[in-house]
Amino acid sequence: MYPSAFDYHRAASVKDALRMLSEYGEDGKLLAGGHSLIPIMKLRLAQPAHLIDLSGVRELAEIRDESGKIVVGAMATHRAVESSALVRAKLGLLAQCAAMIGDIQVRNRGTIGGSIAHADPAADYPAAVLALEGEITIEGAAGRRVVKAADFFLDLMTTAVRPGEIVTQLAFAPIPPGRGFAYLKHRQPASGFATVGVAAVIAIAKNATCESARVGITGLGPKPFRAKAVESALAGNPPAQATAAAAARAADGIDALADIHASAEFRAELARVYTRRALEAAMARAAV
Amino acid sequence: MKLAGETVLSAPRERVWNLFNDPARLAKLIPGCEKLEMLGPDEYGGTLNVGIASVKGVYSGKLKLEDKRAPAHYRMVVDGKGKQGFMRGSGTLDLEARGAKSTAVKYAGDVQVGGPLVQVGQRVIDSAAKMMLGQFFAAAEAELEAEAAGTVARQGLMLNLWRSIVRLVASLFRRT
Repeated sequence: MYPSAFDYHRAASVKDALRMLSEYGEDGKLLAGGHSLIPIMKLRLAQPAHLIDLSGVRELAEIRDESGKIVVGAMATHRAVESSALVRAKLGLLAQCAAMIGDIQVRNRGTIGGSIAHADPAADYPAAVLALEGEITIEGAAGRRVVKAADFFLDLMTTAVRPGEIVTQLAFAPIPPGRGFAYLKHRQPASGFATVGVAAVIAIAKNATCESARVGITGLGPKPFRAKAVESALAGNPPAQATAAAAARAADGIDALADIHASAEFRAELARVYTRRALEAAMARAAV
Repeated sequence: MKLAGETVLSAPRERVWNLFNDPARLAKLIPGCEKLEMLGPDEYGGTLNVGIASVKGVYSGKLKLEDKRAPAHYRMVVDGKGKQGFMRGSGTLDLEARGAKSTAVKYAGDVQVGGPLVQVGQRVIDSAAKMMLGQFFAAAEAELEAEAAGTVARQGLMLNLWRSIVRLVASLFRRT
């Protein structure tokens, strides 16, 4: 299948891309790794007249330590994140999550900015970005703004990014030493997408209770979310005893998705099971 | 695709019913609605420009209302198509008064969606439909609130007008 005809533009800088976005308006579409956009263009479900390729914007692909914060450029590929020494050392959860996305071909092309801007409800990254309380920088004609992960995912494939804007980078505080973390997913065998994916970061206090827990869940509902009910059920309690009861609340209040691969009931059950496993795996790695 | 649910709107049943039977006002509330016009008694034609992510398309279709029992119930039959797919199906709408000031809207429907859209969209079509329903009801609630505020304002105006007439008449009588 062939996409309908379009003009290809290679942006040289963010400024350049923003200029083209405002010039082409509704007819323009940003191209990052293209793993979601190109397939729907081939089916002619999307027919943008102008594709604005961001892959030539070097600074968008950088991963660096910026005065203590780890900054991951929007065009960093999953493979770049997974293999970055900095990310592996300071943001192990993000590296672990990146390594579990799709297959090697997808990871070589797909980008973190593309993934979160598309906001597919089954994408892996959003769970980790939520659990790590990442901050997303969005640039537009009016300047740049920073949006917290919790305020970024608004609804099904709908984010805080407005027309004419570009996600340029994500910034994270490093995971403090001693915290345990894990990303676990039920993998859809054909696509590699997460039927349900759970990212957890846990801090254990000196008295062996759970000091804090941050849990991000993807795949279950129309948008990824922080499982606050799970987090509060764990906080202040001895983790080994509280885990099962906390994980049982993973799907509380969520209108679960249903499709030919998994019913809403099955997805909710997967969320509870994978939350328990992710919590257990995170605790096993946590040090007091 | 089966859709069913219930939402409560804060307006008396008659006003909700009137809103749900007014194509001009409905057109403003339906996400992406570009046109909604009456084709005949209880029959409407319209165009929607909707989509999520990069998958946007223009769909045109017909909507028929059957089995109408004011102000409580009707059945909708929809049939629409666009370049990327088609949809047809039917559903019911029931309005139940919840006290004097609010109305429960119950809906249940079964819609068939087909075409290229389903090839990639199967995973998200249900949630996309739910999202648009949510947007519709939020807009309906806002419209009903605005309407109520307008009524109160008009009542206030009439009351002030009446009071000034009374004062005027009274002053006329005092003079004599």
